[in-house]
Amino acid sequence: MVPPKPVPKTKPRRGIFHAFKGNLEALMIGVKYFIDPKRFTLIYPKEYNKLREGYRGFIVLIKQKCINCASCARICPAAAMKMIRIPEVDEKTGKQKVKNWPVIDYRRCIFCGYCVDVCPTEALYHVPYHDVVYQNMAEMYLDLESFQKPPEYKAAEEGIPVRYIVDEERGLVKVPYKEGEK
Amino acid sequence: MSGFVSTRGQVGFNDLKIPGAWSRKIGKDLYEVFIGPQHPGSGHMRIIIRIDGDVIVEADPDMGYVHRTMEKLGEGREWIKGIPLYERMAIHDACNVTLPYVRAVEQLLGIEAPLRAKYLRVLLCEINRIAAYLYGFGIFGVFVGHSTMYMWPFGDREVWIELADWLTGARLTHSYPVFGGVRRDVPADFTNQLRKAIRYMRKRLEEYRKIYVDNPVIRARLEDVGVIPKNLAIELGITGPNLRASGVLYDVRYNDPYEVYDELDFEIPVFQEGDALARVWQRVEEIKQSLRILEQVADWLDKHPREPILHDRFWKTAPPLHKKIFETEGRAKLVPLYALLKVPKGKAYAKAETARGEITYYVESDGGQKPYRVRIVSASARNAIVFKYILPGHRVMDLPTIYGSIDYFPPEADR
Repeated sequence: MVPPKPVPKTKPRRGIFHAFKGNLEALMIGVKYFIDPKRFTLIYPKEYNKLREGYRGFIVLIKQKCINCASCARICPAAAMKMIRIPEVDEKTGKQKVKNWPVIDYRRCIFCGYCVDVCPTEALYHVPYHDVVYQNMAEMYLDLESFQKPPEYKAAEEGIPVRYIVDEERGLVKVPYKEGEK
Repeated sequence: MSGFVSTRGQVGFNDLKIPGAWSRKIGKDLYEVFIGPQHPGSGHMRIIIRIDGDVIVEADPDMGYVHRTMEKLGEGREWIKGIPLYERMAIHDACNVTLPYVRAVEQLLGIEAPLRAKYLRVLLCEINRIAAYLYGFGIFGVFVGHSTMYMWPFGDREVWIELADWLTGARLTHSYPVFGGVRRDVPADFTNQLRKAIRYMRKRLEEYRKIYVDNPVIRARLEDVGVIPKNLAIELGITGPNLRASGVLYDVRYNDPYEVYDELDFEIPVFQEGDALARVWQRVEEIKQSLRILEQVADWLDKHPREPILHDRFWKTAPPLHKKIFETEGRAKLVPLYALLKVPKGKAYAKAETARGEITYYVESDGGQKPYRVRIVSASARNAIVFKYILPGHRVMDLPTIYGSIDYFPPEADR
């Protein structure tokens, strides 16, 4: 392998016909994109961006897998994930006991995904969307029940899914989403 | 000019009326104008200029409007929580900004990332660098009144953000490097899409040249404006593309290579003129070199099979489930040790080349779960002094040109 090397450079010289040639080139480019504009605006409520698998969106708990280890709460950089104590009755012995369960405060969450990555049993997962609406601030502090349900995705009910792909000629292109794509 | 309020609460007879800026008379033919901190031409900073007619005689950059006590906040958090915190200095350059912190802590821990993780770090660093340069072009374009150049780079930046999103799972705040490696491997088909983006960007830079950089109208506004002579650039200690555009060869990737930069074949362009136009050309050439690096990284990643991307110290304690998920999804799960990590006592220093220049981290540990001290010197903080020495002698109209060409980013400077 070759190591990097410095290369001295200068600005391109200005020729005699620069004013003419430069203006013409700029205008030609303008005309080209006037005739064939390159647009990829998302017409939002009518369409929505179907994000790829692995997107770090809202977080959901699978309670059956959770082992109450509190790793997620310990690693959370924004202190959004907290453990709450919930008393319950043990099925086998019938005794009263208190268990810790994680809940999340979306007013604080920064969607870094550390909690999902640190969970030893994969009890947490990301849903691949982030455009979720809450009526008020208090609703964003989820309790154990609502933390287990994926948040309501209104845009998916009304819009059609699209996906952005990279094209060699046109940059980012909006294409309709095909079922089953990852 | 209704709505203008002077110092005395009413429009004064002697006061100069400039929309969006606050001004007062301080002497015969001498006015003091406060540009910012809300002015679109200055971002979250204020430039106090004193003007005689239309000519700036004195300039004073007044920064600190977005200071967030980031160094102090870092002292109260566990080691790994510093990564999402420090990347908020420059979110569109997140990997470059946090990488030296990760590398400094790795020095203290005495570990090094596996080779594949190093290539993946370089991959995201260069994607971030291109996106950050395009962001700078967009802002510069709208400063000089060229709204096409505002729309185009922001549209093309979306290509790189989409790729970064696919790789890491987040558009801007990736939190991608962790101590001893990275968090995700490349998804299937990623390198093909990356190659398409590289070819697209090469064509696009030629169009940028035609409509903006070589456009006679823009050239007339940028050429020989805001010249930073070579000796002044060294004296002021400015860094990054601005320094290299003044004819000084200094790039951390070249002078003090980190990760795998010493194995990659690329050039460090150095322009001699030091004016606003040279600084734009410098960035255009550097995007070309970043594309070259990305091509090589994509080839390397294709040739080499998937291997662990976390250091053995962490990866060997990972349960079988972690290994299964890494093989199927390419996601390197973190072990709970990360949250309770104790870093050995000591001091470490690391630096990296961000899109705006050199960033240095000094990290000191007292052996606990939290850093004792993290000192950050960011590139924009070092570049801000330029305004004081370059602006005098120019007309007020040249201020946005110079400000845009320096590519100053207030949140990074204020920390």
